[in-house]
Amino acid sequence: MGKKAKHFIKLVALLLSVLMVSGCWNSRELDELAVLMGVALDKSSQEGMIDITYQVALISGGGTSDSSGSASQVSGSETYWNITGTGTNIFTVLRDLTHKSSRKLYAPHTQVVIIGNDLAKDGIRDYLDLFLRYHEMRLTIYILVAKGRAGDIFNIKPKFSQITSLSISQLIQNQGASSETPQVRIMDFLERLLSGTTAPIAPIIEASDSEGSKVIEVAGTAVFKQDKLVGELDNTETRGLLWVLGEVKSGAITVDAPGGSAEIEILSAQSDVNVEINDDGSITAHIKITESGNIAGQKGSGDLSKPDAVEILVKNVQKNIANEVLLSVQKAKELGADTFGFGQMIYKKYPSQWESMKNNWDELFKNINVEVEVEASINGSGRIKKPAYPSEED
Amino acid sequence: MIRYLIKKIKAAVIYKNSKEKEQEINVDPFKLSSSMSENVSRLKKILGDSNDVVIRDFTCGPHRKMSVTLIYIDGLIDKRVINDDVMKPLMYESKFSIFEDSEHIFDAQEFKRILVSAGDVKETDSSEELLNGCMSGDAALIIDGFDKGLIISCRGWDMRGVEDPQTESVIRGPREGFNENLRTNTALIRRKIKDPALTFEVKEMGKRTKTNVCIAYIRGIANQDLIDTVKERMDKIDTDAILESGYIEQYIEDAPYSIFPTLGYSEKPDVISANLLEGRVAIIVDGTPFVLTAPLMFIETFQTAEDYYARPYYASAVRILRFISFGISVLAPAVYVALVAFHQELIPTPLLFTMAKATEGTPFPAAIEALIMLITFEILREAGVRLPRPIGQAISIVGALVMGQSAVSAGIVGTPMVIVVAITAVASFVVPEQSDAGAVLRFFLLLLASTMGGFGITMGLLIVLIHLSSLESFGTPYLSPLAPMRMPDLKDSVIRAPLRNMITRPLGLARQNPKRQKKFEPPSQKNS
Repeated sequence: MGKKAKHFIKLVALLLSVLMVSGCWNSRELDELAVLMGVALDKSSQEGMIDITYQVALISGGGTSDSSGSASQVSGSETYWNITGTGTNIFTVLRDLTHKSSRKLYAPHTQVVIIGNDLAKDGIRDYLDLFLRYHEMRLTIYILVAKGRAGDIFNIKPKFSQITSLSISQLIQNQGASSETPQVRIMDFLERLLSGTTAPIAPIIEASDSEGSKVIEVAGTAVFKQDKLVGELDNTETRGLLWVLGEVKSGAITVDAPGGSAEIEILSAQSDVNVEINDDGSITAHIKITESGNIAGQKGSGDLSKPDAVEILVKNVQKNIANEVLLSVQKAKELGADTFGFGQMIYKKYPSQWESMKNNWDELFKNINVEVEVEASINGSGRIKKPAYPSEED
Repeated sequence: MIRYLIKKIKAAVIYKNSKEKEQEINVDPFKLSSSMSENVSRLKKILGDSNDVVIRDFTCGPHRKMSVTLIYIDGLIDKRVINDDVMKPLMYESKFSIFEDSEHIFDAQEFKRILVSAGDVKETDSSEELLNGCMSGDAALIIDGFDKGLIISCRGWDMRGVEDPQTESVIRGPREGFNENLRTNTALIRRKIKDPALTFEVKEMGKRTKTNVCIAYIRGIANQDLIDTVKERMDKIDTDAILESGYIEQYIEDAPYSIFPTLGYSEKPDVISANLLEGRVAIIVDGTPFVLTAPLMFIETFQTAEDYYARPYYASAVRILRFISFGISVLAPAVYVALVAFHQELIPTPLLFTMAKATEGTPFPAAIEALIMLITFEILREAGVRLPRPIGQAISIVGALVMGQSAVSAGIVGTPMVIVVAITAVASFVVPEQSDAGAVLRFFLLLLASTMGGFGITMGLLIVLIHLSSLESFGTPYLSPLAPMRMPDLKDSVIRAPLRNMITRPLGLARQNPKRQKKFEPPSQKNS
């Protein structure tokens, strides 16, 4: 028995010693937390400072208040609270907010980080450090660039969701339907930033007017060179970029068709990019895109069920996609920003040659040859085969 | 200090006195002499003056020359047997001597052979045996002039019939349950297993209760080692009372300080029969419908009789469900507290809002809330079990209202907590054999979760797992066939294979005779 007890004590001691190796833990109740939903970074009027807006969910006021009249209800319609602070660093501001918020700011549920246009132009590398370092911040936060001041975005009351940040993250997640806006998480952004040559990208968000009220809209891509904003891609160029990155999930392509035009719904797309250093030292990037789609709409009375009509359609789709890609390449060259990550591909394939190339990469990128090969297919035409025209007598 | 010593001494004296008294009461057994009056008076002294003891002396034989005394306990005997088969032949028919010599005096042998028409009659010269017979419902017949008495079996007392078992009701399967009578119970098993190898060995246990305890096994299937171990452990029991099979369980179990049971029990003859057929040993105790089985494996507690009567798909699914339920009943409050108080980042954002909204304004930390609710539930359960059924319903209404509705609407407890406790409570009834262990584990893990979060839960589960794998029940590892892994036995573990594929008995139990059936040849389907 004594032996057993000794064993038991040893066991408990062993298990307790595991406590020493565990990380940060402490108990905090749900109602002691202010759940941080979004962060907006803006250039401050003071030199070297940034304005930070934190969006915090006001939980008791939000949503449908059920019959239990117990919980202290915060004034009916408020569902979020934007707290603003100014400082040199995100973390200092975060801790400064304890002067204003009676609850501890709790970061793991943060949905979005929005960066103001002015700040993005000045460079944001130093401010992203916290997202990498602070254990409460997740790397899956979406990063966006605002057309104007980022803090203003949080003042718009969203139509569907209760909280602006949540609605923006849902909006971003829904962009696959058009594939004209990139979905960039902070880890993707940092990966590109840390690679040195690949240009970080982020979707653009703006507050647009719609029938008198402000509406949040995301479209296009902000392109960074290193950590500074240098330009924008429009919707077409963005999709051109996404084709190459293999991130097109769905979307619509309008092409000429026999007797009018047709719209193709993208069902799936893959890309295969291969870079090559030619004998003369020039670089060629072979981009192969495989796409399959359905006919989603048609204008005109042409019979698209015939094999030769489908063939024409396929050719037009291929031309269209290749065109989008080339447009995007052209824009990237103009901006001098390697949005496709060709540099990293060369680094992986020709590590020894890359050493001499990487300092000169901006120049090399502008002269890169891009060859696009598209393999498209059309799988179906929806519920009808022939267009909605009265059938012609034969 | 001195006071303490005096107390000690006093206690010792009292103990000594009590020992002396005990010896006084015990009258040494004696051998019967040929004088009836002496025998009877000595027996009377032993019996004291209980008023349920009936001592009837009368004369019999031709010319009523013989005097005899009949001793029995009122209430334990069948009056009809006493009257028709003992008194009547003795008092009336013995007048007409069958012997030529009308003066013939019967001796005990002849009483037994000729006069007493009851079925089971023994003769003995030991007072102890006579009294034991009386105490267990036989009648003792003492004849003047002979140093031997007769024990006439005429047991008959009021008892419950064979009824629906209260604890294990089934949808499909036999509805009979054991009752409080040992013989009925052995008969119920014998009726299921008509195999002469089925052995019932009866032992008398308990110095005062003299309870009949029966060890049942099937020779040739059960391991001899196992039978020997059970007998050996039972021989070591030296107590004055065995009132229920739980007494035996606590004396012979492998891990008396563990929260997990290492002996199984059942109220159903079909379950016990199935256990015997798999090579287990059953211990039947007179006076209780609960029959013990040994050894017990952890997964066995998740199996029910119906698993084998229903078709395998549903049976397996339900079995998996039982494992999940046990997990819920043990873990749900702990996990909830860990999530709410430590790992809010693990809760999906929309769910976090819902939960935060519901717990907004509640005054207690989640751990205290959980503790309050769980203890309230345990109180309600206990009250419900002990109370007469009509009041029990009132309790459940009050409980439901107080616990569920009012606590939430008063803002004392959050709604999610009520849901968690409710699902925990319901799930804890799914595996009744582990519900005791489950309740202890639930509070243990809740304590760990409320101090160390998910880390604490992991540690707690580790401790439990280490403990479980160290347990043994009568030589069989508690976690077998999962650990140590016994491949062939997995056919009846988390899932239940079709009966036709269960060719071997559990190898951990029936090592010496594992084959249960031949390979089943399905009826050939001819294409006509």
